Amino acid sequence: MSFRSLIQDMRDEFGSISRHSLRSRSHRSAGNASRAAAAGPSEAMDQSCWSQLPPELLREVLVRIEASESWWPARKDVVSCAGVCRTWRGIMKEAVRVPEVSGKLTFPISLKQPGPRDGTLKCFIRRNRTTQTYYLYIGLTEALADDGKFLLAARKCRKPTCTDYLISLDKVDMSKGSSTYIGKLRSNFLGTKFTVYDAHPPYDGAVVSKSHSARVVGLNQVSPRVPAGNYPVSHISYELNVLGSRGPRRMNCVMDSIPASAVEEGGKAPTQTEFPLSSLDSFPSILFFRSKSARIDSSTSQSSSSDRLVLKNKSPRWHEQLQCWCLNFCGRVTVASVKNFQLVASDDNGPGNQENDKVILQFGKIGKDLFTMDYRYPISAFQAFAICLSSFDTKIACE
Amino acid sequence: MAAAADSSGDGGTSSGEKTIVLVSSDNSARFEVREAAALLSQTVRRMIDEAGADASGDGITLPDVDAKTLAKVLEYCNKHAPASSSSSAAEAAPPAEGEEDLERFDREFVRVDMGTLYSLVTAASYLKIEGLLNLTCQTIADMIKGKTPEQIRKTLGITSEFTPEEEDEVRRENAWAF
Repeated sequence: MSFRSLIQDMRDEFGSISRHSLRSRSHRSAGNASRAAAAGPSEAMDQSCWSQLPPELLREVLVRIEASESWWPARKDVVSCAGVCRTWRGIMKEAVRVPEVSGKLTFPISLKQPGPRDGTLKCFIRRNRTTQTYYLYIGLTEALADDGKFLLAARKCRKPTCTDYLISLDKVDMSKGSSTYIGKLRSNFLGTKFTVYDAHPPYDGAVVSKSHSARVVGLNQVSPRVPAGNYPVSHISYELNVLGSRGPRRMNCVMDSIPASAVEEGGKAPTQTEFPLSSLDSFPSILFFRSKSARIDSSTSQSSSSDRLVLKNKSPRWHEQLQCWCLNFCGRVTVASVKNFQLVASDDNGPGNQENDKVILQFGKIGKDLFTMDYRYPISAFQAFAICLSSFDTKIACE
Repeated sequence: MAAAADSSGDGGTSSGEKTIVLVSSDNSARFEVREAAALLSQTVRRMIDEAGADASGDGITLPDVDAKTLAKVLEYCNKHAPASSSSSAAEAAPPAEGEEDLERFDREFVRVDMGTLYSLVTAASYLKIEGLLNLTCQTIADMIKGKTPEQIRKTLGITSEFTPEEEDEVRRENAWAF
């Protein structure tokens, strides 16, 4: 039974229960109201009745809000309602559909969920060279960039043997210990290979990557606490193409947490539904992920990537007259740059060159320190952002 | 309020149109209304069907709606009732008033205190009056929009009952969203 149909059943049950009790409940409140009418309405009495509003009526109100506040900045009203109390939260969380279906971003967890199947989510990235920080926004309008709604921030941290980009829900606080930390991109010394790490398990059976050992998080295991771990979710590599640095570089992204079947007919990608509630002192919380992925080999070695989704960049065409490499960015990229790319799902053996393939991630320059990022199912905003950061960092074929 | 109509539910107006008597929960008030207005309520419609043309002749008692609320609800129904009172077409027939006039009426109608609004939305739900339910739910929704969780709780007198961890999550969500 799917989670959604379980909620539907509960709702139907609830509806019939409350229909019975509605009589007594509203009779009591109707009684209150008439007494109030005699005495003069008192605010305190007016207010207390709202917590007894029958759930189906509350739902009528909340779904209207969810439907009308469909885009940012108004969408924050949906988040606000989900923060009022348990009942409101339950109803609102059930009313909000995942981005895969709705094409809307609502809660922070939306950033860890696959993008829409229809169309793309159009975002943009601002780079601050001074602070070595990158900010991801989703556009508020059809413009290439506008004020935007802030999504994620990443700060570059150079280390002796590698570079880390720490990714956070907060523009300012990007420390690993913070509750807003959600993952990182790590590059190797040469800037040719990158690994994206999720701070939280992307699916059941995910492997925690520690420096010397690997520990599998069990399917229904109750963890004493949820560590802000390092769960590798993709491996990115850059190579020169046959023309060396005169030609566009080749990108290869192995999406460890997404099965190759995700892009096939009827395929599904893992979808996180909650950030694990983590507190060192709290009672164990049961990790619950609506993991629809096929059983995935728990080893993270790149050699067993045959059942994982691999993304490759679409090869640009050489334009004889313009004397440059061209990709059709559909107006979303306006400045030529070696960083610009389009990622498509690749065949196991062939290069990612099919014209019919949907572009899953597109990234490109539109101004000084300003870039667009368009992504879609099956990758999430977090994964897309991390992959784009690697394009900034890689030393392959730099101008 | 009930005028000089006879006590049987099947009263008549001077124009000969069928009327229905509705009685509030505490039995304190009886309202004689045009059938077309009363039938905007699916609940009343069902009660009439079940009772068989109001066999008791005493009017229809609505146990969940008090006098003050019923008066207000009927104000709405009278305004929104279709011109013709043929029961099967009541829903589909256009109301007697013009649309702009109705919109203005609706806007004024919901300018009430929170307690009355609460009574109206629950009454609209119980009586199954679609237009009134829409109007009241939308009014409440508009009242909630633009507020922080704390402001919503204050306005409606709700306590959150979150655990400290849930509160943290809510705080993080809102910090990110706002």
